[in-house]
Amino acid sequence: MYRRYLNARSPLRLLEKGLHGGLGPGNLGLVLAGPGVGKTSFLVGVALDDLLRGKPVLHVALDHTVSHVRVFYDTVFEDLAATTHLANAKAVHAEIDRLRRIRAYSPGAFDAKRLREALDLEAGLGARPELIVVDGLDVAQRSREELAQWGAVARASEAEIWISAPVGSERIPSLPEPLRPVEDLFGVILALEPEGAGHPGGHDAVALRALKDHDSPDLAALHVALDPKTLLLIRS
Amino acid sequence: MINDLSKIRNIGISAHIDSGKTTLTERILYYTKRIHRISEVKGKDGAGATMDFMELERERGITIQSAATYTVWDDHHVNIIDTPGHVDFTIEVERALRVLDGAILVLCGVAGVQSQSLTVDRQMRRYKVPRLAFINKLDRSGANPRRVSEQLREKLGHNAVMMQLPIGVEAAHEGVIDLVTMQAVHFQGDNGEHIVRSEIPAELRDEAETAREAMLDAVSMFSDELTEAILEERVTEELIHQAVRRGTLSRELTPVFMGSAYKNKGVQLLLDGVVRYLPCPTDVENTAVDLTNDEAPIVLSADPQKPLVALAFKLEEGRYGQLTYTRVYQGTLAKGTNIVNSRTQRRHKVGRLVRMHADEMEDIESASAGDIVALFGIECASGDTFTDGSIEVAMSSMHVPDPVVSIAIKAKDNKAQDNLAKALGRFVREDPTFRSAVDPESNETVISGMGELHLDVYIERMKREYKVEVQTGAPQVAYRETISQRADFHYVHKKQTGGSGQYGKVAGYIEPLPEGDERPFEFVNEVRGGAIPTEYIPAVEKGFRSSLDKGRLIGFPVIGMRVVVNDGQAHSVDSSEMAFQAAARGAFRSCYAQAKPIILEPVMKLAVEGPSEFQGAVLKTVMQRRGTVIGTTEEGGFCRVEAEVPLAEMFGYATDLRSQTQGKAEFTMEFARYLQCPKEATETLLEKYADRRRDEE
Repeated sequence: MYRRYLNARSPLRLLEKGLHGGLGPGNLGLVLAGPGVGKTSFLVGVALDDLLRGKPVLHVALDHTVSHVRVFYDTVFEDLAATTHLANAKAVHAEIDRLRRIRAYSPGAFDAKRLREALDLEAGLGARPELIVVDGLDVAQRSREELAQWGAVARASEAEIWISAPVGSERIPSLPEPLRPVEDLFGVILALEPEGAGHPGGHDAVALRALKDHDSPDLAALHVALDPKTLLLIRS
Repeated sequence: MINDLSKIRNIGISAHIDSGKTTLTERILYYTKRIHRISEVKGKDGAGATMDFMELERERGITIQSAATYTVWDDHHVNIIDTPGHVDFTIEVERALRVLDGAILVLCGVAGVQSQSLTVDRQMRRYKVPRLAFINKLDRSGANPRRVSEQLREKLGHNAVMMQLPIGVEAAHEGVIDLVTMQAVHFQGDNGEHIVRSEIPAELRDEAETAREAMLDAVSMFSDELTEAILEERVTEELIHQAVRRGTLSRELTPVFMGSAYKNKGVQLLLDGVVRYLPCPTDVENTAVDLTNDEAPIVLSADPQKPLVALAFKLEEGRYGQLTYTRVYQGTLAKGTNIVNSRTQRRHKVGRLVRMHADEMEDIESASAGDIVALFGIECASGDTFTDGSIEVAMSSMHVPDPVVSIAIKAKDNKAQDNLAKALGRFVREDPTFRSAVDPESNETVISGMGELHLDVYIERMKREYKVEVQTGAPQVAYRETISQRADFHYVHKKQTGGSGQYGKVAGYIEPLPEGDERPFEFVNEVRGGAIPTEYIPAVEKGFRSSLDKGRLIGFPVIGMRVVVNDGQAHSVDSSEMAFQAAARGAFRSCYAQAKPIILEPVMKLAVEGPSEFQGAVLKTVMQRRGTVIGTTEEGGFCRVEAEVPLAEMFGYATDLRSQTQGKAEFTMEFARYLQCPKEATETLLEKYADRRRDEE
């Protein structure tokens, strides 16, 4: 029951409520954010949500080292565990470590083919991730053919794949021009933006907004504020 | 003796085992004329590299001991402290880092930043050691200095700036371009001793211009003068050197040099860099603790006139007797004077003072602040501080981890017993992570240390240096026990055997200490109204403490427990300290099982590196050992697997990994933390303990 409370603060709850049913296995999700707004924290939040339910997760890091990513998870988890007075935090933490795999690649050297290889390798060891998060993919520079391959991997592995992509500016009023031609390949597209009067070195909150939700035209339902450090819900 | 401290450099050369550190050290000694011929590492020609003076090291081609050697370059006095290249010897690395002012981080031009580089780099960061990088082995196929320099940025977070460009790599490697002077540098002569500077070849001109611009850009961050000079196009070499030095000393810049030590390329320019950019003793602040003032830190000054403070950082029993490597931090250490060991308060006379050059030595009269020398025939332990007796200070205590593995040993014949005792005595003095004790129950000698290899090396040294052959038992993991819930006790110790009896009653509870509390044990006295007379409380505490040495699950020490005593009873005639101690022990016995005790096992952080094609095989070796894979990094055909694995499963890993990967992968391992032992492993341990106890009865 503690875990349910833990998960209640996850941005994923909103995705499921605000979006019409979440991303869903076999789909690609895209989250866009400016530099330093919290792409990694968002993906870690999404991943922890599955990990706490005992689902294996693969985290692909393209601009962080393995130990760096691990610190992200540890920080968000410890914050969660402390604020919710999680019982037996150590054991839960160890279980999360067991379910999670981090793979780091140099940014240019990762593509759908490498992802497939990685999944085969994991399968050979008896682990099938149900969620794959890919942090820092230069989606705008990838060809439509290659992105279509990513979709194929998602369908073949029956996993949800969340990809975070950097954009140049903090404000993302609409889907950036270079991504329009590939919009149809993604089930859900979200934007993270800083919110509130920014003070030097930080901002009050991070707003999560949907730019695309499968085929639903009702995008207004999802617009929430997240804690800028952990990207967990500020008001639940 | 050099009086000008700005001309002293105390440096370390730190690197991964196969990055060619020993070869580089040897070339440095050759070019600085400390040795007169070059031999190869790994004893291909029988002579072996000069720094690798222990036989064992010679055989394995690695350097284990951190010997200090001194040499002179460009009128500067350079002490080179050789640091070991294996994580099992971390204490040696850390001790050596303590006495360094700066270091060269050697990286292989092919393999780049490897797991060992990460560990060593982290240690250097902890000790705030400014560094230069040297990318070695540019003559090897697959060498790519740019990529390695990038890795320095990405993996180690260094602000790495290339000071040079290669002229050709792999078989075509001829020399380097010096981006400060904008010249091509070739190394001619049989051993590359003639440096020939010439114009940059036309085809590399553009690349060199771009690289110089990038270098100036990064370096000008540290000098407004240089920034102005760049704008006004009047940059001088001296301005660049000043800026690089400033950046390096602040540890916000890592100048990158390159070449091939084996092919005699680039070493002299690296030495120029050491002298130009690395700190001298006065650039670095060293602190000691004041023993007369509650260990308050005090800053030492590298002033030869002030009272002496010196640290014994390394002991060695060489062929001429016991040597104590010492760094002088303040004052002057002179032959014929008296010095005092701050720990033992013993006074020693300095009989002989020497400067070490690998395994030769040179007698000197005195050494002053900033210098590294060796003392002869002084009884002390590694890490002891010496003063002239006028002040009471100690160099701050160094962090010494507890050993995680132990092994029972026995001399094969009784004659060797004496030598064994001698060897153990010395190893314990030399290396604080190495312990030796006699198990009171089995009467066996048990040695403990930081890993299997760590102990293996000492067992080999017993054989080679002391002619003691030992039989070894199976390596034993240092488990711990702890409790997982509160349990009440209410215990009466009563004995009536004629005369005065024994009586003591204690009541209270035991509970786990909160997470994050690092203390092994806490005793809380909540007895009200003298239910237990105050004079017996220490006896109660003592009774509990004595119970902690051996837990009742598998006989390992109990940690993380709080004992609260809140009631009891004494008898006016029959109560005694002994009776209350016995009552406490009885109370612990009676409630331990109800507190749901669990076993904690040491878990190691493991990093394995090898060609990507063996990734699956490597991951399997981890899974088979109850390991948790943290992550995998893939780059340029190599992969690194990071995992946490219980130490108990790691025995014989080297052999297994070799056979699974055709010897192409290597690993490093260090203690990470204690974790609860899973159910199955716990059951096995419990069974084994029960068997052992049955055998003993």
